Amino acid sequence: MAAKKLRRAQLSQEMCERLSRYQITTCQDFLCLSLLELMKVTGQSYHEVQKLLCKVSRACAPKMQTAYEMKLRKSVNPSSAFLSTTLHSLDRVLHGGVPCGSLTEITSPPGCGKTQFCIMLSVLATLPVSMGGLDGAVIYIDTESAFSAERLIEIAANRFPAYYDSDEKLLCMTRSIHLYRELTCCSVLKRIMSLEEDIILKKVKLVIIDSVASVVRKEFDTKLQGNLAERSNFLNRGASVLKYLAEEFTIPVILTNQITTALSSGPGLRADLVSPADDLSLSEGSSVSGKRDSGYVTAALGNTWSHSVNTRLILQYHDLPTRQLLVAKSPVAPFSTFFYTIEKSGLILQGLLTFFKLWYSTVRISPDRKDQTNLVWEGTNPALQPIRVRNTALKDTLHDAALPSTTGETSRNTSNL
Amino acid sequence: MQREVGTLPLAPALRARLAAAGFQTAQELLDTGPCGLSKEIGISREEALEALQVVRQECHGDTARAAGGSGATRKCTALELLEEEQTQGFIITFCSALDNILGGGVQLTKITEICGAPGVGKTQLCMQLAVDVQIPECFGGVAGEAVFIDTEGSFMVDRVVDIAAACVQHCHLIAEAQPEEDHGKALETFSVENILSHIYCFRCRDYTELLAQVYLLPEFLAEHSKVRLVVIDGIAFPFRHDFEDLALRTRLLNGLAQQLIITANEHRAAVVLTNQMTTRIGQSQSTLVPALGESWGHAATVRLIFHWDNTQRLATLYKSPSQKESTIAYEITVQFHHCWLHVLMETRCHSIFCRF
Repeated sequence: MAAKKLRRAQLSQEMCERLSRYQITTCQDFLCLSLLELMKVTGQSYHEVQKLLCKVSRACAPKMQTAYEMKLRKSVNPSSAFLSTTLHSLDRVLHGGVPCGSLTEITSPPGCGKTQFCIMLSVLATLPVSMGGLDGAVIYIDTESAFSAERLIEIAANRFPAYYDSDEKLLCMTRSIHLYRELTCCSVLKRIMSLEEDIILKKVKLVIIDSVASVVRKEFDTKLQGNLAERSNFLNRGASVLKYLAEEFTIPVILTNQITTALSSGPGLRADLVSPADDLSLSEGSSVSGKRDSGYVTAALGNTWSHSVNTRLILQYHDLPTRQLLVAKSPVAPFSTFFYTIEKSGLILQGLLTFFKLWYSTVRISPDRKDQTNLVWEGTNPALQPIRVRNTALKDTLHDAALPSTTGETSRNTSNL
Repeated sequence: MQREVGTLPLAPALRARLAAAGFQTAQELLDTGPCGLSKEIGISREEALEALQVVRQECHGDTARAAGGSGATRKCTALELLEEEQTQGFIITFCSALDNILGGGVQLTKITEICGAPGVGKTQLCMQLAVDVQIPECFGGVAGEAVFIDTEGSFMVDRVVDIAAACVQHCHLIAEAQPEEDHGKALETFSVENILSHIYCFRCRDYTELLAQVYLLPEFLAEHSKVRLVVIDGIAFPFRHDFEDLALRTRLLNGLAQQLIITANEHRAAVVLTNQMTTRIGQSQSTLVPALGESWGHAATVRLIFHWDNTQRLATLYKSPSQKESTIAYEITVQFHHCWLHVLMETRCHSIFCRF
């Protein structure tokens, strides 16, 4: 839209020629000038220039739609509004599943299950609509070479044994997952830019980038001057193209992120604007409130990136076999946590009963919310949500074994009341 | 009439010719007449006539202004302004602590900026305001419509449906508790469908579209005269990438701010902008500050910063011409922003609100 040539904005031929002499050929160039500059460049009077501005604006302004029209459009085709993850409690909290038309980020320490989750979602996207899928192809951009086709088939065969009952069907499914291996930021960006045509050609219904963080962190060392700005630039550009694709084709876009250690540099960082302490990090041993250790682990790529993604799911370790899934940022869901394990058929959520027992002593249950004990109304800053890594989980199991107290998951509820 | 030729809004080439021919004041031009002008400068009679009409319009406008009539600049006494301010509407947010620190709610004719970390609730509040602006006057609202300009793609219709349903339900509760005549009539037209059809959404993908939309806003508001709220969700996002020339960015932002102030004043609408936070690296520590730089801080009249304190969400009034700086706690419930009062912790699940 910005690069629209003025010719197509219905300006007269001679005006366009005159403007091109000053190197003003697109709507963007035109709108960036002030009124006086425009008068000089076009040689028109003040009122004429205002009329021209309106004409050019009309050529690139977006179309108006009321919220009612948007709702109608959605209700006409409800199944296409999200991709069900088949993790029922998660789907319920997210009002259906991974939302179509926006960016969803999955962050976790290594080995927690990001790639497994992505592979599982690829299988789900290729399923027919009647089974909750999107009946389309998948574009998988892999920067870490972590994608395993054998695991893909294993998940598909174990999760839907009734549907994938023949090798034929499995192979057919694998044919609709397009894998691209990109190893540098530049090539990732180029690939994202060229996705539009591929999506139309291959009838793609899901785009996964696993992972954004690995290429960015390889190439941009934020300690060097200027790199922080360049990194933000790259991320913002990528994010805006992906958002455009997600909205234009109403498909979900899934990105994975890594973790980093945020060093709390003393009281400065804990000032009003920023501070999330989660009991998960407090349980690491510092008992005095207000005193913090050297740092805590949180999602990488910084604050700006947290603004760009619409939904953020965090996977972290709880104890060794069980992991935890947090909905840290979502426009429709409150902050929630679920336990899961990784099995042959992908991710399986732990039953409610199991963690009802775990949360029993810590969560205050209000009478009409007995079945939603996993919902917590408070949240934390998704950009600074501390994440448990493997070592912490290991340390805690040893720690908890020694002391007869409640588990490491002390709820923030009790500390607030 | 003594206005200099160089200040008239004519085409620059024409002005240059007039200056070269020796014309200095507008009065001289008017005295010469179109034929004389065309002969002296060498332009056609039609062009000369057009130019003279522009000059006459300008001068007429000038004299009208000098005589104290209505023109582009208004002047009034402080008393008139006081009366205006007292009758001015506020858009209530349904979170009474937030309304209190704002002095009644989001004020019309002013620009309010909401800054905050990601996920803290800026878009939620904007969606809530888009619904609250439509509350009928008998319930304390301004009965207006809303324009929602979304640059980040975070506008979720389902959420707006939830908020609208809760608002309608709340108004029904009030009507039952304190029945008055107009309530019944107002409630007939105040339904979820109606609310949704009066929220006009624009999705701007980059700063050019945003600039274009803001240029077209006066025209749109003239057609939809009931609009009382313009929300730009994410003024920072389109300006934070692809901009090597920071001076250009500052200029565009200032121009945008000016236009929004003019629009807010002329149409008696409230303008709400949301801004991101960015990390500023200091000598020994880094802090989160609102994005877009220091100069942008001057654009908004009222600035609210949403932030976290442990797991509690807080809102701080950072800049306001009439209220003092204060902080309140709030939370986001299924229905909408809700103020934290100890009593309410128990009844949080039910829709009883502290305000009424």
